[in-house]
Amino acid sequence: MTLKHDVLVIGAGLSGLRAAIELAEDTDVAVITKVHPLRSHSVAAQGGINAALSKDDSWEQHAFDTIKGSDYLADQDIVETLTKRAPQTVIENERWGTAFSRTEDGELAQRPFGGAMYPRTCYAADKTGHNLLHTTYEQAMRKGIKFYEEWYVTSLVREDERICGLTALEISTGEIHGFVAKAIIIATGGFGRVYGKSTNSLINTGDGCALALRIGASLKDMEFVQFHPTTLYGSNILITEGARGEGGHLLNSEDERFMERYAPEQMELAPRDIVARSIRKEIEKGRGIEDEYVHLDIRHLGEEKIKSRLPGIREICRNFAGIDPIDEPIPVQPGQHYSMGGIHCDGTGATSISGLFSVGETSCMSVHGANRLGGNSLLETLVFGPIVAQAALEYIENASFADSSCVEDIAFRDRSKLQAMVVRSEGESPNILRKEMKKTMDNLVGVYRSQEDLEEALRTIRNLRERFEKISIGPTDIRFNYSLIRTLELENMLLLAEIITMGALMRRESRGAHWRSDYPERDDSEFLKHSLFTLMESGAIKTEYIDVTLGKFEVKERKY
Amino acid sequence: MLFRIARSKDGETISHYDQYKVEVKEGMTVLDALFQIQDKMDPSLSFRYSCRGAVCGSCAMLIDKIPRLACKTQLSTLKRDDKKNEMNLEPFPALVEAPNGWSPSDEVLVEPLPNLPLLKDLVVDMCRFYETLEKLKLWIDIEKGTEYRNQSPEERKRIDRLVNCIMCALCYGSCPINAENEDYLGPAALAKSWRFFDDSRTPNPDRFLKDAKGESGAPLCELIMNCVRVCPKGVAPGGAIRKIKEAE
Ligand SMILES: Cc1cc2nc3c(=O)[nH]c(=O)nc-3n(C[C@H](O)[C@H](O)[C@H](O)COP(=O)(O)OP(=O)(O)OC[C@H]3O[C@@H](n4cnc5c(N)ncnc54)[C@H](O)[C@@H]3O)c2cc1C
Ligand code: SF4
Ligand code: FES
Repeated sequence: MTLKHDVLVIGAGLSGLRAAIELAEDTDVAVITKVHPLRSHSVAAQGGINAALSKDDSWEQHAFDTIKGSDYLADQDIVETLTKRAPQTVIENERWGTAFSRTEDGELAQRPFGGAMYPRTCYAADKTGHNLLHTTYEQAMRKGIKFYEEWYVTSLVREDERICGLTALEISTGEIHGFVAKAIIIATGGFGRVYGKSTNSLINTGDGCALALRIGASLKDMEFVQFHPTTLYGSNILITEGARGEGGHLLNSEDERFMERYAPEQMELAPRDIVARSIRKEIEKGRGIEDEYVHLDIRHLGEEKIKSRLPGIREICRNFAGIDPIDEPIPVQPGQHYSMGGIHCDGTGATSISGLFSVGETSCMSVHGANRLGGNSLLETLVFGPIVAQAALEYIENASFADSSCVEDIAFRDRSKLQAMVVRSEGESPNILRKEMKKTMDNLVGVYRSQEDLEEALRTIRNLRERFEKISIGPTDIRFNYSLIRTLELENMLLLAEIITMGALMRRESRGAHWRSDYPERDDSEFLKHSLFTLMESGAIKTEYIDVTLGKFEVKERKY
Repeated sequence: MLFRIARSKDGETISHYDQYKVEVKEGMTVLDALFQIQDKMDPSLSFRYSCRGAVCGSCAMLIDKIPRLACKTQLSTLKRDDKKNEMNLEPFPALVEAPNGWSPSDEVLVEPLPNLPLLKDLVVDMCRFYETLEKLKLWIDIEKGTEYRNQSPEERKRIDRLVNCIMCALCYGSCPINAENEDYLGPAALAKSWRFFDDSRTPNPDRFLKDAKGESGAPLCELIMNCVRVCPKGVAPGGAIRKIKEAE
C-alpha cells in the first residue's frame, strides 16, 4: 500500500510538532514518528528556553552571547532570526498553556544560564521540555493532525533533484510501506547515542542525518559534539545547568571550587565546553573522585530552594544514584549531550534536494556553531518549526506528486534488505558492534581529541562498518521487532560515527566543543569555516569547507 | 538474578512465561535487564523504551505484580524483605493471579501493564488511553493576544503536581475500575481535566469540569486511590478526582 500526503514531517519532537501545527490548516500534513510523540527526546529537556524578555535585555545581547558562545561559527543572519523571534515564541507557548515558573509578581521567571550575560532562560521548574512538549502536543491534537505513531522511516526517496517520498516500517506489523509526498521535513533530533556516555534518550540515533546523507544531501559541522559537564555518574542522566544557575558549586576531591583556575569570572557558569574540559582536566590531574567524577554541590541552596526550583534533579539523584542532594553532593562527569552538526540547510530549512527540509537538532543552519548555549535549542525548535513549515508550504504550491512507482521500487529494495538481515543465522551480534562503537567514540572522539586517537578511531569504525555487513540479529518475530529497529539505528550511527571522526581529524584547530590537544589554538585563517560531508556514489565521503556568514559581531577571542 | 517474563507473540493473552538469568551490575534497572536479555539471550523480546530516565512514560509494566516504570525500578530495590515494596494496592485479578511456578522471593516477574489490550510481550495497545485526551479535549482553546498572561506563584503552585504527569498510564493500569469498565476515562485524563480547570489562565475552565463530571468520568471513580500509590511522578490523580466530585 502506498500512502500519500502533501507534506510529511518525520519526527514528533518539538520541532516536528511545531512545523506540523503550522501546516495543518493549509495543507494535508502527516507526522511519522518512531515513538509516540510524547516519548520524543524533547520531553527530557530540563533547564529552559532563552528569550530576551526583559527591558534591560535585548535580542542583540542574546545574539552576541550566542555567537560568542558558538566560537563565531554560527551564521549571524540565522542567529538574528532566532533571537529576534525568541520573545514571541515563548509567549506563544505560554498562551498555549505551558506552566512556566513565575516571579513573585506573576511574570515569567528567568534564570541565568552558562555563557549568557543576562538571566534570560525561561523555565518550568526543571522540566521545561516536558511542559513545552506536552503543551505543543495538545495543540497538535486540537488541530487533528494525522500521526503515524511507531513507524520507523527506513529510506528517503528522490527523483532526480527533488524529493518524492519515503519508506517506513510499521513497527506493529513489521511491514514496510511507501509514502509519496511533495515535501518532506526531517525533524528527527540528535545523534547522541553514537556515544556510550550520553544524556540523550536511547532513541537519539541520528536516523534523519543518515537518511538525508544516503540520498545525496550534505551534513555539516559534524565534529562539533557538545559534552555536558554535569551528567550523573553511572547512568549519565543530565543534571541541568540550572543547578549551577541556581548557585551550585563544582568541587574536586580536595573540596576546592576548581573553576577559579579556568574561568575566574564566570566560574561554574562558563560555557559548557569550558566547564567540561575543566572537569576532565581535574580528573586527569588526579583531583577527581575515584578517578571518574567530581562533585556538584547544591546543599547550600537549602531544602526549600532545591525542592521548588530543582525538584526533577532531586528526583533523578534519588532514583538513579540513591542520594539526596539536600544532604550530599552529586557525583558528576562530562557526557555527550548535544549534536551541533546535522543536515546542511539554509535558514528556511531547505537542503540541496528540492522539497527536502530539516529542522531542530537534526539540522545545521547553523545557530549553534561550534558550541550551543543552554536554552537555545528548545528555542531553535519552536522558532524554526513554523519558518521551515512556511518554506515547505511555498515550495509545494508549484510541486506535484511523483509517480508512486519510485517509492514502490525503494520499498521493495528495503523489504529485501530487511528480509536478508533477519534471516541471516550466522554472524556477530549487533550488540557487540554497538558496544565497540560507543567505547571508541567515548574514549577517542570525546572532550579531548588528538590525531593519533582519531586515526585509531577511524580505523575501528571503518572496521565495524565492514563487520556490520555480516551481522546476525538472531531469531526474532516480525511484529514489534525492536532488535531489528535497533540494528537499523546502529547502521545509521556507524555511518555518522565515521563522519564525526573524519571531521574531527580534518579540523586541526580547537574551537568551541571541538578540542584538539595537538592543536590547542583556534585558527581563523584556515578554519573559520563550516565543514561539509557528502556521500558519493562510490560510497566514499567527500569533505569540503564552506564560508560562515559573518555580520555585525566581530570575530574575537572567546574569553570568559 | 532470575527473571520470569510474560510472552505473547500474537497478542491478546499471555501465552507463556520465559525464564532468564540476568547478570546484575550496580545501579542496574529493570529496563537495563530487559536490554541485556534482548541483546544477549532473546532478541525476540519486545518492550517499549525511550528516555531511560523516568521522564518519557514509555516503559510502564507490571513488575512483581506492581505497576511501575521499568527504567525507574532499580534491581537493588526488588526482592527485599522490608516493607518498601508494598504499596497496599486494592487487588483485582491482574494484580494477584500469579503464573504457576513463580517464586516471588527470588524471581522478578515482568508482565504487560493491565487494563489495556495486549499486542506483543510487554507491549500494550495504548490507544484507548490516549483517546481519553481527545474525548475530553484536553487542550487550551487559544485566545488571540500577543502578551503572556500573569500568574502568581501561588496560582502556579495549584497545578504544580498535575502538570508533572508523563502520561505513562500506570494509574490506568492499576485502577480496579478501569479493569472492569472500558468506558471509564481513568485517573490521568481526569487529573488533566482538573489541571486545566484549576489553571488561573484557562479561558473557559468550566468545560473541563463539566466533561470530567460526565458519566464516564469522575462519577465512576470509587476513590480507591491505587493511582495515587503507583504514580511515578507524584501527580496524585485520585486527589484531583476527589476535587472534581466535590466541585459544583
Ligand atoms: C537531557 C537533555 C536536556 C536538555 N535540556 C535542554 C534545555 O534545558 N534547553 C534547551 O534549549 N535544550 C535542551 N536540550 C536539547 C533539546 O532538548 C533538543 O535539542 C530538542 O528537544 C530537540 O528537539 P527535536 O524536535 O529536534 O528532536 P526530538 O525531540 O529528539 O524528536 C525527534 C523525533 O524524531 C523521531 N524520529 C527519529 N528517528 C526517526 C525515524 N527513523 N523514523 C521516524 N521517526 C523518527 C522521534 O520519534 C522523535 O519524535 C536538552 C537535551 C538533553 C539530552
Ligand atoms: S497520573 Fe501519574 S501514573 Fe497516571 S499517567 Fe500521569 S504520571 Fe503516569
Ligand atoms: S524509558 Fe522513559 S519512562 Fe522509562
